[in-house]
Amino acid sequence: MPTERIRNFCIIAHIDHGKSTLADRLLEKTDTITSREFRNQMLDDMDLERERGITIKASAVALKTVKDGKEYTLNLIDTPGHVDFNYEVSRSLGACEGALLLVDASQGVEAQTVANTYLAMEHNLTIIPVISKIDLPQSRPHDVLTEMEKTLGTAPEETLMVSAKTGQGIAEILDAVIERIPPPKGDPNVPLKALIFDSVYDEYRGVIIYLRIFDGSLKVGDEIYMIKTGRSFKVEEVGVFKPKMVVKECLATGEVGYCIANIKSIHNVKVGDTVTHKKNRTAEALPGYRQPIPMVYCGIYPANNADFHVLREALERLSLNDSSFTFEPETSQALGFGFRCGFLGLLHMEIIQERLERESNINIVQTAPNVTYEIVKTNNEVIRVDNPEKVPPLHEIEEFREPIVRASFVLPSEYVGTIMQFAEGRRGRYKSTEYLSERRAILTYELPLSEIIFDFFDKMKSATRGYGTLDYDLIGYESADLVKLDILVSGKRVDALSTIVHRKDTEIKGRKLVKKLKSEISRHLFEVVLQAAVGSKIIARETIRPIAKNVTAKCYGGDITRKRKLLEKQKEGKKRMKSIGNVEIPQKAFLSVLSVDE
Amino acid sequence: MILKRNTSPTALYVHIPFCAKKCCYCDFNSIVSNQKMIDQYLDGIDKELRMLKSRFLFHTVYIGGGTPSLLSENQLEKLLDSICRSVLASEIKEYTVEANPGSLTMNKIGLFKESLVNRISLGVQSFQDKQLQFLGRIHSGNDARNTFHLLRDAGFKNINIDLIFGCPNQSPDDWKRDLEIAVELNPEHISTYALTYEEGTALTRDLKSRVVRKLDEYIELAMYKTSINYLRLNGYNHYEISNFAKTGYECLHNCIYWKNAEYIGVGVGAYSFVNGVRTSNEKDVFVYMSKVDENKNTTSFREQLTPGQYASETIIMSLRLRQGISNTDFYERFGYKIEDQFGDTIRKLTKDGLIHYDERLTLTEKGLFVADTVMTEFL
Repeated sequence: MPTERIRNFCIIAHIDHGKSTLADRLLEKTDTITSREFRNQMLDDMDLERERGITIKASAVALKTVKDGKEYTLNLIDTPGHVDFNYEVSRSLGACEGALLLVDASQGVEAQTVANTYLAMEHNLTIIPVISKIDLPQSRPHDVLTEMEKTLGTAPEETLMVSAKTGQGIAEILDAVIERIPPPKGDPNVPLKALIFDSVYDEYRGVIIYLRIFDGSLKVGDEIYMIKTGRSFKVEEVGVFKPKMVVKECLATGEVGYCIANIKSIHNVKVGDTVTHKKNRTAEALPGYRQPIPMVYCGIYPANNADFHVLREALERLSLNDSSFTFEPETSQALGFGFRCGFLGLLHMEIIQERLERESNINIVQTAPNVTYEIVKTNNEVIRVDNPEKVPPLHEIEEFREPIVRASFVLPSEYVGTIMQFAEGRRGRYKSTEYLSERRAILTYELPLSEIIFDFFDKMKSATRGYGTLDYDLIGYESADLVKLDILVSGKRVDALSTIVHRKDTEIKGRKLVKKLKSEISRHLFEVVLQAAVGSKIIARETIRPIAKNVTAKCYGGDITRKRKLLEKQKEGKKRMKSIGNVEIPQKAFLSVLSVDE
Repeated sequence: MILKRNTSPTALYVHIPFCAKKCCYCDFNSIVSNQKMIDQYLDGIDKELRMLKSRFLFHTVYIGGGTPSLLSENQLEKLLDSICRSVLASEIKEYTVEANPGSLTMNKIGLFKESLVNRISLGVQSFQDKQLQFLGRIHSGNDARNTFHLLRDAGFKNINIDLIFGCPNQSPDDWKRDLEIAVELNPEHISTYALTYEEGTALTRDLKSRVVRKLDEYIELAMYKTSINYLRLNGYNHYEISNFAKTGYECLHNCIYWKNAEYIGVGVGAYSFVNGVRTSNEKDVFVYMSKVDENKNTTSFREQLTPGQYASETIIMSLRLRQGISNTDFYERFGYKIEDQFGDTIRKLTKDGLIHYDERLTLTEKGLFVADTVMTEFL
């Protein structure tokens, strides 16, 4: 296939704006898959993605289509839509010359739409604006057209209208991709230069690298060299995705496909790295990507200490397919041996936790998440703290710094006041309001990351009846009046329940936290005292009154089996708890801090 | 491990599932039914009993329900005859029939008296009409008194009165009054059950929809303590969590359950326990009757206890008895001492003042009130 008949493009869209459905229609329209093979939302591989209706990992597929008697290969590279996975978007963009910018005809421009469009512009991509879901009764394509023009600078006359549901406009998209997006520019006669834009681990084949060939070509038997990691491998197989892997002899300039080279671990491959030939190297590497850094940390412990090794293996398995997730062993007085895990965001954390429980069948105890803090000690040493336990004693702290993000909310104008009030309550700093149209606005705030990682997203969603969206970027660290809030259970400090909070919030948060814990911990035979403390000062207290009477009144012949089973169940429930002193604390309690009400 | 085989089950239970009306708190196997169906059912019981015939030597018989006293005189006669044929009269030490004050007549009492029945368990529940109405009982407090006197007049020397405490809106004084009336009647045995909210009952539905509110746990505890103290003061031994008796009148049949010994159950949903195997008959009365009719096996549930389960169950059930379990008996049955398996548990619970352990393992009074919590430790 000559390069002038290749097009590489991606779809950028906010979650739920119909990206995966559009991709499915393109696959069908080009007969890339037969309807028999069709599983809705073909590109979402993992069950979890399908269930949650979001795309987590980028994925690629080659579409064949004929226009004016000529056959074209259109490589569609899928991108995730959630803010947590922004870095995956940028790596997909790097492999493309163009992007379909998809906006829902009823929802309009959203925070991620804006962010991703700017990203696409930075990559000099040709943007094809598309308004989706025009078949829905509540759609308002003309308003959305204006919003897009105003915020994204797209030309209304170039904007396509589609309904992935009815198929309207799908053929026009294929035409536009061929006509408007330039073919790849590379030179087939110079040394190989290819971009790794993703990789997955396969149990049987090892690492599968997703590649975009910029210059030269790649074939089986080639010795390849990765410029950043300095590693060499011998190519065993190359091919393209249709969307299943189809073996090819060679990947030529401009093509998108995969390469298998007996690579044992995903950590041997750096996404964004440049692949070239070992003997005949390219002179310069591609710009690559910034390695994503975890923004959110939490402790993950086995409910049963004996499962430590099982947990380690499970975490290792997960990290094989997700290089943005990190974990390191740590110990807690309360929870024993476990791991400090780093995530891109809260959704990423939830997904990993769900996969852990689903795929490894162990009970885990997870602590409340926190961000990474910086502390300047009195001896001028600067330390990074990803666990409240590592906060040094008060007298050794010169300065406590926390990460600040720039958050943009895109929302119907009538909710601007609500969200402003909300952001102010979370220590936000107002920056600006821009109106997309009479009805919609972009509100920008600077906020401490710690204030938005817990429940902010859900709260914002419900405050705007689901219409508000949020995107954020880390802008740096700032000094703040922060303290460590400790929880004592019957006089014993439980390290896994410590959190870092702003000094002005300590009393309210302490009170709510012990109240919440009171509802999570069941009654014991003795009184349980729950206290919140900053340093040695107790700021809140609750007591759980002891069980007075717990005795089955009747137990005769037929009840014995039932009774034994009931007691066995109670005992089983106890096993999943962590025992602190002689108080049994359920797993859920360790996440109490997450759901403390406003 | 040596698991000593018990010689043979010595207790026979016969279940009569019929009631005039289902009470709101009841989750027992009981239905409201017609005469024809009862006749058929009694045929089934007869058939099941014939199959047992002469295989076991029973010392105790217990006809429970449901409401056995609801049966017509003819039906009762038939039932008592069927049972009579399955037991050796000279071996019977205790023969109980459960009866409700509303359904017991002079003639029925006469029938009991003529057969081997020597103990009546009277489902009084309360002597106060307000409480009886709440519970959905069809008799009045006066009915209960009158029936008791009828039984006495007929010569029954072993009568139990069942009482329920802890109803919403019941005051500790209400409860004390019920105990006083019961004691005045001077029965040989009194059972006091705390009202229990069982899944699937009308009462639990009312609780969930907040039509009724549970009595505060501390008030319920106070009532329980009142029962123990007041009945003890009046000559009743507190021998099981919910049971009180004058010396020598402890219910032999029920003690079989609490010692986790062997028993045979006949009738719909009835449980049997033989050789470490617990079985239960079909729970649906129609399925049960058609199976008996077709000479099919009526068992619908079967579990073979592991030696560990057997031992745990035995400890748990025995702890219901105030005398607990003797280490000698336990060793006889299981071939090791309780402390060999539960040493740490015993030390912990003793330290917390919940159990007492020397030759016998017993609950302390503190342990008694939270018996379920203590029992989980012996699993």
